[in-house]
Amino acid sequence: MSENKGNAAPAVGLMASWVAYAAILVVGFLSLFSLYMGFINYADSPDIAIVFIFLGAAGFAAIGYMLFRGKPAGVAKQGPLEIKKVEVYTTLECPKCQQKRVRDFKRGDFVFKDDEPCTRCDGLMMVTKIARKKEEEKKKDEPSWL
Amino acid sequence: MVFLFGQVLQAQETDLNVILQTLYSFAFIIYLFYAQKIQTLQMLRQIEVTLRKVKHLKEEARNQTLKTLVEIGKPTGDIAPRVDRFIDFFSIGLESMDPAGIVDKMDHLLKTNKHIYEAEVKTLAPNATPTERNNLENLIEVSQALNIYYKIIRHFYLLGKKTMNIYVIMQVHMILPMLLQMVEAYSSGIQAFQEGMPIGDGVGPIVAAKLMHGYPQRDVAEEIVAADVPYEGRTLIVFKAKGPGGSVGNPDEGLINILKERKGKVKIIITVDAAGKLEGEPVGQVSEGIGAAIGGSGKEKYRMEEITNKYKIPMHAIAIKQGMEHVVAPLVEPLFDATDKAVESVKRIVMDYTEPGDIVVVAGIGNTIGVGQ
Repeated sequence: MSENKGNAAPAVGLMASWVAYAAILVVGFLSLFSLYMGFINYADSPDIAIVFIFLGAAGFAAIGYMLFRGKPAGVAKQGPLEIKKVEVYTTLECPKCQQKRVRDFKRGDFVFKDDEPCTRCDGLMMVTKIARKKEEEKKKDEPSWL
Repeated sequence: MVFLFGQVLQAQETDLNVILQTLYSFAFIIYLFYAQKIQTLQMLRQIEVTLRKVKHLKEEARNQTLKTLVEIGKPTGDIAPRVDRFIDFFSIGLESMDPAGIVDKMDHLLKTNKHIYEAEVKTLAPNATPTERNNLENLIEVSQALNIYYKIIRHFYLLGKKTMNIYVIMQVHMILPMLLQMVEAYSSGIQAFQEGMPIGDGVGPIVAAKLMHGYPQRDVAEEIVAADVPYEGRTLIVFKAKGPGGSVGNPDEGLINILKERKGKVKIIITVDAAGKLEGEPVGQVSEGIGAAIGGSGKEKYRMEEITNKYKIPMHAIAIKQGMEHVVAPLVEPLFDATDKAVESVKRIVMDYTEPGDIVVVAGIGNTIGVGQ
């Protein structure tokens, strides 16, 4: 496609994320300072200290919001921008002697295809299964009682 | 609160406190007036990130499609402009103001669509076999789908940016995770259609193939193959789309022709198809029910319901559950294993609801890519 601009686009996103991190840093510093002021003033003037503590806590809450809610919905989890290639295997079985063989899928394989001569007898091995190789199980977020 | 702020300043009149108070006041004022604007910009950025991903995927899909067409079809000359033009191909939806006769119109539209695809792929890949041509048609469909998703997201993104209207932006932002899921699901189908691998939607044809394999087969409709399978004194007429090329065939026509051939003397009909699972349901769960287990445009379902209603034949349904990400992706092991369970379900339903001498029709619904018979 002619409108492909190569690697220029991701740099904008990277810059935006640096601005966000800088904002988090500033708010974090101010919040920490507020909390510090709150603690040192707590004995002498608790009313004032509460205001500082409130401001500090609000700052940290805002940081939490920026970090967790601020990430694009469903986008943050995404991996590299590539079309996934998965490993697929073909299982061959000999209907005569039940000899079984598993190999990588190759173009032209299909379920119930008479494929290659059996290595054990004079029969013809047939494709009985084509499936994707098992991937590592993802950690489930669902509670076990469900 | 204002009173307490005042107290803070009065109690400690330092420069630092003044700065701190000014900063907080400034932040408060900004938030007061620009909260929605900030939210709008944040949503726009999230859409932009997604759009960039979708753009990359649709371009990758287009390149892979072109590469496969050249590899398999060995065309003479540059086919890139023709592929780009065909990726942008559209079919206009039917007018439903007067819905009478819309199923026939839908049938006509689908047949025209199929004819166009066949003709285009034949031109783009002149040396491809009929099986490969079917797979290439599916591959082009994936590229078209990704192109449409990209254009829709881009439309709302640019419209939102132009108007800065939060409601325009929210429309696409709210469905962004679902859109991404669909885009990812389509992109995972590229490998399957390039190589001719069985996909998640192919579980129905696999069940049918397991039942009919080894028995004499005949064509009963366009791209539909059937076989008479004896089972425990009954006759199972099993049909599926003709494989191993990527095709769903015309199962409605297949069923109509079989029922006409048997003059409606069929005890039950069993349809087996892939079905969307709800969150929490395991992949490959086999569920049983009644009705026509078939998706698509609705034309096939309507015609199947019509003919079974005419002859008053009960329809049983077997659904093999899977997520959206499995439908066009290379078949996962739990789904392949589920086809054995579905075969057992078919046999059990036959034993439970029919007597020896009865005729049962079993339909394996879905895309038969990578599945023979």
